Amino acid sequence: MEKEQKKIPNVLQKETTRRGFLKGAAAATGGAVALATVGAAAPKVAKAAEPERKPLYRYLFAERQNCTGCRACEYACNIYHYGVIRPSVSRVHVLKYKNVVDVPVICWHCDDAPCIAACPTTPLAIQKDPKTNGIILNEKLCLGAKCLKCQEACPAEFIRVNPDNGMPLMCDLCGGDPECVKACLAQSGKPQGPCLIAEKLGFGVHHAYRNVTPEEAGEDLLKLLFYPNKSGERR
Amino acid sequence: MAAPKGGYFGKILEIDLSKQTAKERAVSDAECRKYVGGAGMGAYFLTKEYKAGKNPLAEDAFIFVGVGPLNGTYCVSTRTSFVNMSPYTGLLSHAEVGAHFGNEIKWAGWDGIYIKGRSKKPVYLYIKDDKVEFRDAGKIWGKTTEDADEMIRKDVKNDYARTAVIGPAGENEVPFAAVIIERFRAAARTGTGTVMGNKKLKGIAVSGTKAVPVADNKKFYPAAVAAKQLAVDKEAWQGIKRWGTAGLLELKHWVSGSLITKNFQTTWYPDIEYIGAEEANRRFWKRHVACNHCPVHCMKYGVISEGKYAGLIAEGPEYETGGLLGSNLGISDFGGMMALIEAADAYGLDAISLGGVLGFTTECVEKGVLTPADLDGIAPAWGKAEPYMELIKKITFRDGKAGKLLSQGVRKMSQQIGKGSEAWAVETKGKEIAAHDPRGDKPRAYSYAIGTCGGDHHEGTNAEELARWAMINSLVMCSFVGGYPWGKETPGVFLAMLNPLCGWNMNDAEYWTTAKRIITMERCFQVREGISAKDDILHKRFTTETLPAGPKKGAIFTAEDTKKMHDATYSYFGWDAKGIPTEKAMKEASLDYLIEDIKEARKKYKL
Repeated sequence: MEKEQKKIPNVLQKETTRRGFLKGAAAATGGAVALATVGAAAPKVAKAAEPERKPLYRYLFAERQNCTGCRACEYACNIYHYGVIRPSVSRVHVLKYKNVVDVPVICWHCDDAPCIAACPTTPLAIQKDPKTNGIILNEKLCLGAKCLKCQEACPAEFIRVNPDNGMPLMCDLCGGDPECVKACLAQSGKPQGPCLIAEKLGFGVHHAYRNVTPEEAGEDLLKLLFYPNKSGERR
Repeated sequence: MAAPKGGYFGKILEIDLSKQTAKERAVSDAECRKYVGGAGMGAYFLTKEYKAGKNPLAEDAFIFVGVGPLNGTYCVSTRTSFVNMSPYTGLLSHAEVGAHFGNEIKWAGWDGIYIKGRSKKPVYLYIKDDKVEFRDAGKIWGKTTEDADEMIRKDVKNDYARTAVIGPAGENEVPFAAVIIERFRAAARTGTGTVMGNKKLKGIAVSGTKAVPVADNKKFYPAAVAAKQLAVDKEAWQGIKRWGTAGLLELKHWVSGSLITKNFQTTWYPDIEYIGAEEANRRFWKRHVACNHCPVHCMKYGVISEGKYAGLIAEGPEYETGGLLGSNLGISDFGGMMALIEAADAYGLDAISLGGVLGFTTECVEKGVLTPADLDGIAPAWGKAEPYMELIKKITFRDGKAGKLLSQGVRKMSQQIGKGSEAWAVETKGKEIAAHDPRGDKPRAYSYAIGTCGGDHHEGTNAEELARWAMINSLVMCSFVGGYPWGKETPGVFLAMLNPLCGWNMNDAEYWTTAKRIITMERCFQVREGISAKDDILHKRFTTETLPAGPKKGAIFTAEDTKKMHDATYSYFGWDAKGIPTEKAMKEASLDYLIEDIKEARKKYKL
């Protein structure tokens, strides 16, 4: 409620049309009130009264068991960031572990952000976007291939290096609406659901998920899905 | 020679294993447009560079690992094509395989890999963008495909490299050896594994960091998205998604009446319920696996939880592997069947030819033509997995009497055995046929009998389909996407993507001309090797024995069916009654360079 009250003066200060004013008012006071007071202009205003904000995704999450290894996430990441397909520079990527399981390697957007803590530059080359929770890299400040302290610090071994300029590849959550999540949802269906999820979870990702390397995650998956026989052997 | 505007890099990696050198071979835009890539481009190189009667295992014989223009772009479900002259049949053959290997070749900046020469020591190739390394494969030689793949990726220190390797079968030059991609996918049916073994090439690892150039991305991207959506929306996909191709095992048994059973003795196999998709779903499957960017995930991986083979991780059953190594051998023990399938993958054998050979051998034993004494004391019998496992090992290492006999393939085996065994030696053009019985599934005969490679289930079910599939194999697309869901819309869907991608203005007519060109070109190669209408027939088991049971009881492939098939295909492609491309058809397809060869072949084989 605090935020909304702050918005009102902004709207009022602007020279706005009547509808623009109503929009602001509706947002502040709630749709029902606006409907009751405005009368004739109600339908249009009611539409505007719907919250117009973008979905605010805070954390990316991977349900590793559901991954089929189709790499649609990589393709979507490439299209958003480069417009062409080039998985070697896609942020999210898929590791095929022992050719039996596929491990989606994602940025967990940790609350303690070890990559930012490790960044030696001042001001920091890596920063978290407060709105979207995405990790933003400032390529002008980043020392690139000389440093890569962030790559060392990442507990999930997510960060890869752009082969062109040696810059680390960071997940910026596509400005709040991750493309990989949408692609994953579009590809999946019966019998199993999507692997990538982005939700406002309200809490950070559990370290048990985050603090594993892709190889460890692969080994876990292998044990979970393809358990060995009674004598513990695998053929 | 104009360079391609997009979709292609305009260069093919040419590798000489004798001299251990790698160089670039340029391909022009005109060549790309004429031969497209994959199977078509491979056929072009084969027809151009080989003379009739070439030894497929000669030092300068080559393998072409082809990719198409759509590989490595947003387009879904692209594949890899292996084209070579098969040492098994002595004919041009191409095998298409899924997974990510082909895309990685494209991202490394190549439109294909052309491999010739013969190394003195075992080597494997590591291709990282423009850099090509010939690495020592001494330690990897002799390993199964599973271990070889793992060791290669460890050795090159790149977890994201994709591999194609051969198993012990390829090393021992078993003529139907396969190339195994990423452990579970096989480019079989061509003897490519044999040629690689002969060249002492254990495997290829590729890793790329480039992007495929696109002529007009603004038009290409929406077209590719629309094509993907079209494929996703098709109902038929849901079945494949859920059940894989294993679902067809039950379907072909109960409905189509075309499930291979006991070396094509019948198509009625009620025990399918113990080895089919439902059983696999209950007891075996653990996860679904997709090839690159594919929403279908038709591959199913699983683990056997009980019995002799507990703990075995395998892929399948697919329709072909489950048919050939399941119902074909009368097996009702699920674990046993999966062990056979996994053995074929691990040793790098073509599961279809292997199934054909084992089925034929069993029938020989059943009819008393072969005795266990001829097979080193192994007595194969319908339904028993263990003796088959022994035989697979014998074949792989060409060990003992059994190994030497069985590793020749059905045609040569029956020639050696004699005693009327050719009556059940089911093959076409020297190759065992896949798991669809053509008596129950008559359109499949086009693919088996007239399709380029012979005995192949993958080349279309009527004259027009043959052309369509030639194009799909040259664009190197998956059949579940390029073949069925986009089927009715062909060539519209492809042209909508190809034109902006490559900067072409291809129309429908040119698309079909290209398709006919590729088929005719492949046909010319086969004609030079002595193939004509007399070889475009099914085995006599299908034309003389009726189906004894099942939904298509009494069905038989008649002489009229054969004639109808020949007339329809030959007239569609402009070939004469003997199945030889006419001069007119070749000129129309601008294959002038082959006219002299065909004239010679006509004289030589009196056609």
